[in-house]
Amino acid sequence: MQPSPGVTPGSPYLPARSERQVKAATAVPSRRRLSLKKGLSYGWVFGPLALLAIWSLGSALDWIDPRILPAPWVAVTTGATLAAEGRLVPNILVSAERVGSGLFFGILAGVLLALFAGLTRLGGYLIDGVVQLKRALPIYALIPFFTLWFGIGEGMKIAVIAVAAFYPVYLQTHNALRGIDLRYVELAENLRLSYRDFLRHIVLPGVLPGFLLGLRFSVMTAWLTVIIVEQTNATRGIGYMVNLAVSYAQTDVMLVGLVLYAFLGVASDCVIRLLQRGLLSWQRTLAS
Amino acid sequence: MMKGALIAALFGMVTVSAQAAETLPLDAPIPDTVPPGTVLRIGGLHDLELKLSGEADKLPFKLEFVNISAGPPTINAFHAKALDVGFSNDVPAIQAMWLGLDVRIIAVRLRKDPETPAFQFGIAPKAHIASLADLRGKKIAFSPGQAQGSVVLRTLKQYGIRRDEVELVELPSNGNSYLNALAANLVDAAPLTLIPIKRYAENYAKDGGKVLPPFGIKDNPLILWVRAETLTDPAKAAAIKLYLRAWARSTAWIAAHLDQWIDVWYVKDQGVPAEDGRFIETQLGHPDIPQDWTNVIRDEQETIDFMAQETGRKPFDAAKLFDRRFETVSGAAFSAVPH
Repeated sequence: MQPSPGVTPGSPYLPARSERQVKAATAVPSRRRLSLKKGLSYGWVFGPLALLAIWSLGSALDWIDPRILPAPWVAVTTGATLAAEGRLVPNILVSAERVGSGLFFGILAGVLLALFAGLTRLGGYLIDGVVQLKRALPIYALIPFFTLWFGIGEGMKIAVIAVAAFYPVYLQTHNALRGIDLRYVELAENLRLSYRDFLRHIVLPGVLPGFLLGLRFSVMTAWLTVIIVEQTNATRGIGYMVNLAVSYAQTDVMLVGLVLYAFLGVASDCVIRLLQRGLLSWQRTLAS
Repeated sequence: MMKGALIAALFGMVTVSAQAAETLPLDAPIPDTVPPGTVLRIGGLHDLELKLSGEADKLPFKLEFVNISAGPPTINAFHAKALDVGFSNDVPAIQAMWLGLDVRIIAVRLRKDPETPAFQFGIAPKAHIASLADLRGKKIAFSPGQAQGSVVLRTLKQYGIRRDEVELVELPSNGNSYLNALAANLVDAAPLTLIPIKRYAENYAKDGGKVLPPFGIKDNPLILWVRAETLTDPAKAAAIKLYLRAWARSTAWIAAHLDQWIDVWYVKDQGVPAEDGRFIETQLGHPDIPQDWTNVIRDEQETIDFMAQETGRKPFDAAKLFDRRFETVSGAAFSAVPH
């Protein structure tokens, strides 16, 4: 029998077989995906949006007592009024300046001390224990003492923020440093790397993820601390604005402060996440 | 001094103010000349009232205003030597003496109409209290170191209620903490002052919350007070004398220009409606700065004895708390300005 095009013996099985072969090629090794599916780039906004929706709905339907929590649009209208009266932006700038100065000193000290404590035995003995001890003290309890030591002016405010911002950076950097895989260190030794090259090629990439994580915590902490320090002798700043609103029982202004804090916190966190993405582009992790 | 030096050495950031060359005894006359370079740090934001009344430019020394006026922060700032003149009611000064801080009252502000005191009792929605006589057996917010505490104790005494017949819930009064405690039924009654009175009545009347009418207890006086040590510096003492006059005159000026004051301070600076500003000024009452402290000291002795007995402290002579070298300074300046 001459094979005619399209009609070969067993041809009815061919497609079936080839399908099976395709399946076999892909499925038989049975490689199950353990990492997460590719994420949406702004997927994290879903949670906050859902919360906002519930809040709006609750306020619109009168389920939420406005004396306890004003409606979300109150934050917008009051915020617009405050901005128009020139009360909002100057206060934000003052607080941002305090946060910025505090962060600068806190991060600088955190990195330097973490490196000293992580890279030298002496530093470890001297620094780490003190830091761990001091970590147990609430910042609120420190303020009366900082008032005694630094007074009630800007110096005290910046010092408190700096101390609060110091810990996360120190802890995460130090932790990352001490967690660098010994194999890399041995590799550096075998390659006869100079200490400078060791710092540059092993230590720097090793601590960077930890440092950046610490930075994210530090920035948030700095914003949280500014409201506390602005309770003491402040005449400007978001914390002052909120405290003033508290003393006049202006719930709407208090809410503006709260929303503002959330916004500033998230915005500065986003900036650091961008930084993270840029600096750690070599990382391939579960989240990427 | 040892401790200060040690801390300064440790932190290298503390500026230790230069010691005055001479010290002024606490019974010597107050000098009249203020040496150049003198700085006075004042608690409370009185810069605007001094500016508005035109007093600020007349002072031949530098004033720094510090936004601290409640009792506990004032005591902290005194400890830190970050403040020269505090502004509060009289209870924190008594408390400071008990805490070992040697302080002096240098000016007193009373009110012309003592029948409308700054404090009124707020009643929680679920408390079932119709009048103050019903306080027996109830939970009452109590802050021992603040005027609120003395108001509670004096009220109980006036109505013949013993301390063990009520439950005193220790709660510092800051911002609107008493308003919130009432709204949440955490306490049955709490002394409210200024804006929380208005806000509580507005917001919680529909739930059954109410504010009882004034109850015939005299307000605590507002005072200007200093550390005794500050008065041993002749430069500061001389500056304080001049400041007291400026303060008294600007207080009189404000009483005479209340509408302008409400607009500039409450509306423009503090961002509250004019009616809130007017409410606060009404609660504070028309000022009276006395030239004779005899009655003030007698009342203060009563407050000290009473607080001592109720809080287990040792009573002391009220005269110790007043520096009578300043007795006529503010009063005379006040009465010289129409108000």
